[in-house]
Amino acid sequence: MKNIAYILIMVIGFGTTSLFSQDDLSPERKQAIDSLALEKVRDLSKYVSIIGNKETQWSEANRVIDRAEELFMQGSEIGVSSLVRTEINYYDIRNYFERLMRLNYNKVEIEWYNIEYVSDLQRQPDGTYVGVITIFQKFKGYDKEGRLVYQDTTKKDITVYVKRKETQIGGRLIGFWDVLLGDIRVKETTM
Amino acid sequence: MRQLFKNPTRIFMIFLVATIALGGTTACKSKKKLAAEQAAAAFEAKVTKAKKDLNAIINGTSDMTLDEQRKRVAQIKGYNINDPEIDKLISMAEKEIDFQQAEFDRKAEEERLRKEEEARRRAAQSEYAVIDNKFRDIAESKSMDAANAQIGLTLQQFASPDVPVLIIISQSGSMNDYDRPTTAEKFLNYLKDVKAYKYTVETVKRDSLGKITEIELLKK
Repeated sequence: MKNIAYILIMVIGFGTTSLFSQDDLSPERKQAIDSLALEKVRDLSKYVSIIGNKETQWSEANRVIDRAEELFMQGSEIGVSSLVRTEINYYDIRNYFERLMRLNYNKVEIEWYNIEYVSDLQRQPDGTYVGVITIFQKFKGYDKEGRLVYQDTTKKDITVYVKRKETQIGGRLIGFWDVLLGDIRVKETTM
Repeated sequence: MRQLFKNPTRIFMIFLVATIALGGTTACKSKKKLAAEQAAAAFEAKVTKAKKDLNAIINGTSDMTLDEQRKRVAQIKGYNINDPEIDKLISMAEKEIDFQQAEFDRKAEEERLRKEEEARRRAAQSEYAVIDNKFRDIAESKSMDAANAQIGLTLQQFASPDVPVLIIISQSGSMNDYDRPTTAEKFLNYLKDVKAYKYTVETVKRDSLGKITEIELLKK
């Protein structure tokens, strides 16, 4: 009898979990948060380009690093690969951007393209939506003579976390979707 | 008497007087009857017309304006027709006129409020369009220095650089979904960084000095 009761509790428990874990957002709202997460990755691509650009003033680059850092979850890492070595190095966010700013080239061009979901945002039991966005990064480094001395194309996967939060502004409660980026993993590096 | 019959002229005269006297009485009686019949017919017509007008008012098919309807009902009441059906129709017509008047007043009030709201929206839109243009100018600046100059000018419109900027990413009925709130300074620099302005100003709150204390944008 005890066993039957236990099984019943388990079945009801799983049923309830399954019911509550269903996506209760309307398609329009879901699309809005999908777009918001993609937008954050596109913002990051702009920041990477600005920080990597040797013409960007130091103060501006640091301001942009601050903004870029705000996009990430604490403790996230970004992978760095190269055609001249096999291993992939992972750096914490601040460290990655500061290294990007100091790259030993006279001119750097970084472009992200084909930014799209490889895994749609899925609701987790804690209410967080988690998905994976893939990007292709074209990197070009030039020497002081303006010659292209290094270039590669890297496919990277970015985990995105979207969570509903609330905050008080002007005496009223504002419900917002907080998009945070997780690790950026290198998937493939080619010429 | 004998003498009277002996004179035929006199007999004729008496006959004539009697005939006239008798005939005149009959004619007078007919006229009164006719007048009474005419009066009754007129009254009947008045009652019929009154019922017709009252029914038209009650059914909402009257061509008269509300004022005219009210006057017509007062007029019918003034006839003092002692008829329970008419009294009932008068009562129903008065209620209908009151209802129509209330409807008319309600619609007029709604129209007034709609016009007021439209005027307010237009004024706000033109005010918001100015802010939209300033934001767009920052995003479309030719250089970082030009963008920074625009940011400096635009920030003067805000009560402080930390004024909250709320970005609506979707609207569902009266519920808004927002992006993570940011500040005026961060948002203006963001426009400079991403070089695009994809929003419209939705609401603006200002302090007594006219400076912006909160701004809500709608993502396009």
